[in-house]
Amino acid sequence: MSTLGDIVVLIKPALNPEMIRSLPDGGVDFDNIPLKLSDIDRNAIEEANRLKELLKGKIYSITISTWGPIAKRDKDIKMAIQEGLAKGVDEAILLEDDSITPGDQITTASAIVSILNKFNIKPDIILTGEATIDGFSGQVAGRVAAKLNLPYISFARKIDLNGNKVIAERDLEDYVEVVETQLPAVISVTREINSPKPPTLIQIRMASKKPQHVVKLSDLTNVAMPKKKLAEAKVLSVKRKQTMIEGKSLEEVADKLIEILEQEGVLKH
Amino acid sequence: MVDVLVVVQKEADASELLTIAKKVGEPVALTYGNSEIEKLTKYFNKVYRIKEDDPNSIFFAIKTLYEKLNPKLVVGMSSKNLKDAYSRLAGIYDLPLATDIFDFNVSGSKVTYKRSFLSGRAIETEEVTMPLLLLVSPRKTQKSEGNSNGSIEELSIGNSSNVVIKERKEKVKGGVNLEAAEFIISVGRGFKNKDDLKLAFDLAELAGAQIGCSRPIAADLKWLTEDHWVGLSGKKVAPKVYLMFGISGAPQHLAGITDAKTVIAVNNDKTAPIFKNADYGIVADLYQFIPILTKKLKERH
Ligand SMILES: Cc1cc2nc3c(=O)[nH]c(=O)nc-3n(C[C@H](O)[C@H](O)[C@H](O)COP(=O)(O)OP(=O)(O)OC[C@H]3O[C@@H](n4cnc5c(N)ncnc54)[C@H](O)[C@@H]3O)c2cc1C
Repeated sequence: MSTLGDIVVLIKPALNPEMIRSLPDGGVDFDNIPLKLSDIDRNAIEEANRLKELLKGKIYSITISTWGPIAKRDKDIKMAIQEGLAKGVDEAILLEDDSITPGDQITTASAIVSILNKFNIKPDIILTGEATIDGFSGQVAGRVAAKLNLPYISFARKIDLNGNKVIAERDLEDYVEVVETQLPAVISVTREINSPKPPTLIQIRMASKKPQHVVKLSDLTNVAMPKKKLAEAKVLSVKRKQTMIEGKSLEEVADKLIEILEQEGVLKH
Repeated sequence: MVDVLVVVQKEADASELLTIAKKVGEPVALTYGNSEIEKLTKYFNKVYRIKEDDPNSIFFAIKTLYEKLNPKLVVGMSSKNLKDAYSRLAGIYDLPLATDIFDFNVSGSKVTYKRSFLSGRAIETEEVTMPLLLLVSPRKTQKSEGNSNGSIEELSIGNSSNVVIKERKEKVKGGVNLEAAEFIISVGRGFKNKDDLKLAFDLAELAGAQIGCSRPIAADLKWLTEDHWVGLSGKKVAPKVYLMFGISGAPQHLAGITDAKTVIAVNNDKTAPIFKNADYGIVADLYQFIPILTKKLKERH
């Protein structure tokens, strides 16, 4: 087993849901929605920093860009990676290639494994967010674990290291499960694991000096092509009435509200 | 010949998953842990069982059956442990996997389904060829009647797990069942102290409502237990009325209330985004308004 103590964080520039745009026909206007570093991946980076103090290795970030066209997205993608570098990542690797956008999780997971091989990175821990804010499907970490035949701990809200052992708390629907496994391992984290702060100006300035590698599909082997097709995406329009209840006094407003609650049939007699 | 492997614990889920399975072909089931196995035999001709219920064991069991039966579809209800187990099988064979899907349709070997996208702000339709793995969003599929009389087969997966479970701690619950609630009063960061939530609880008791909350109240401040938490990473609710106090209307919160019939927001900032996403809006300080509303409701009795 490698004992270099290296950590890999998988980080994704995701479509920013807060900046959603709609086409006239109600379709999602992908081209005009910017990308940002997926929120929960920030928690993974923060956790990598904490674990690095114990493991004493390097933190690599690996990013597979899934939204194209790359020429147009490049700035957003690089910003997301820059944020990782500013927040403690030591070296960043990015796959950018229009032939795999829009990507799917099959392609992403196989490309991550291919990059680990190409750069000969043998991490003790691979960390990532439990899901990304655009697709929210939460499956890349499990795929990578299976491909590398490594133990997988999903939905971790707490991680402790004890020598070569990881002890983690998995946050499930009805209970918290404390589990233990040996390094190396793949772990996905929840937003509750820590509270990352935005990088400082000095951190951002330092980031540009750190090594970054951009690879293309032709630099890698064994990357599976996407199998899922995004046939359609519609902006969810839940039309609400947007009526303001007003009155001369709060008493009057309260009366009007009670009337509405009665009409809706939620007040018992 | 088996076409579909259904991974299921509860009868309510089986009746929905069977509807999906029948669109593809002949199903068998795998069940795990503490399941309603006798009832499941009504829905499937064969039910394989493992005693364990952790994602490693479920993964090994699904993998064993996948390799033995070669199904076109492996389907289950979305849950964290199944996401864990399915993603690993998907990884080994580079199979497509989609989570939290609904509106499943088949035409030949092509499959389409819908799922929520962009933190609940859009719906995507994906198209894919079988074989494939799916995890389904509960209560969005019609139920099928079960009229099988299936057999049970124990499946032994050996003790091959490399992740050891040390302990399970039940989550503390606030005793709410928001998914079934008709009237929800939901509280957000507009409350300044935990003690002030009493305003909302008193109102809810009087009005027969259950209490929901935004993420910060449960996750960051921990003023309420997680079963109160509504949104993308919390509960998805569908009450007749969702009445919110001091919640700004972040898209991740709205993702939990798209199926609410009537949304009413009370907020002291007239520019709060929630007013664009509410049926009725009231610009008021909750500290002034709730006591008045409570008093008026008391007078009604
Ligand atoms: C990946 C991800 C997942 C998330 N999942 C969820 C989720 O499941 N659920 C969720 O809720 N959030 C979720 N969030 C967080 C979400 O983005 C918001 O941060 C959160 O919903 C804000 O909660 P809030 O509205 O209570 O607080 P704030 O946004 O702080 O809003 C407080 C509101 O109270 C009003 N107010 C203040 N004082 C008063 C007063 N005296 N009277 C009346 N009104 C007052 C203010 O005007 C303001 O509008 C998620 C975020 C991410 C990135």
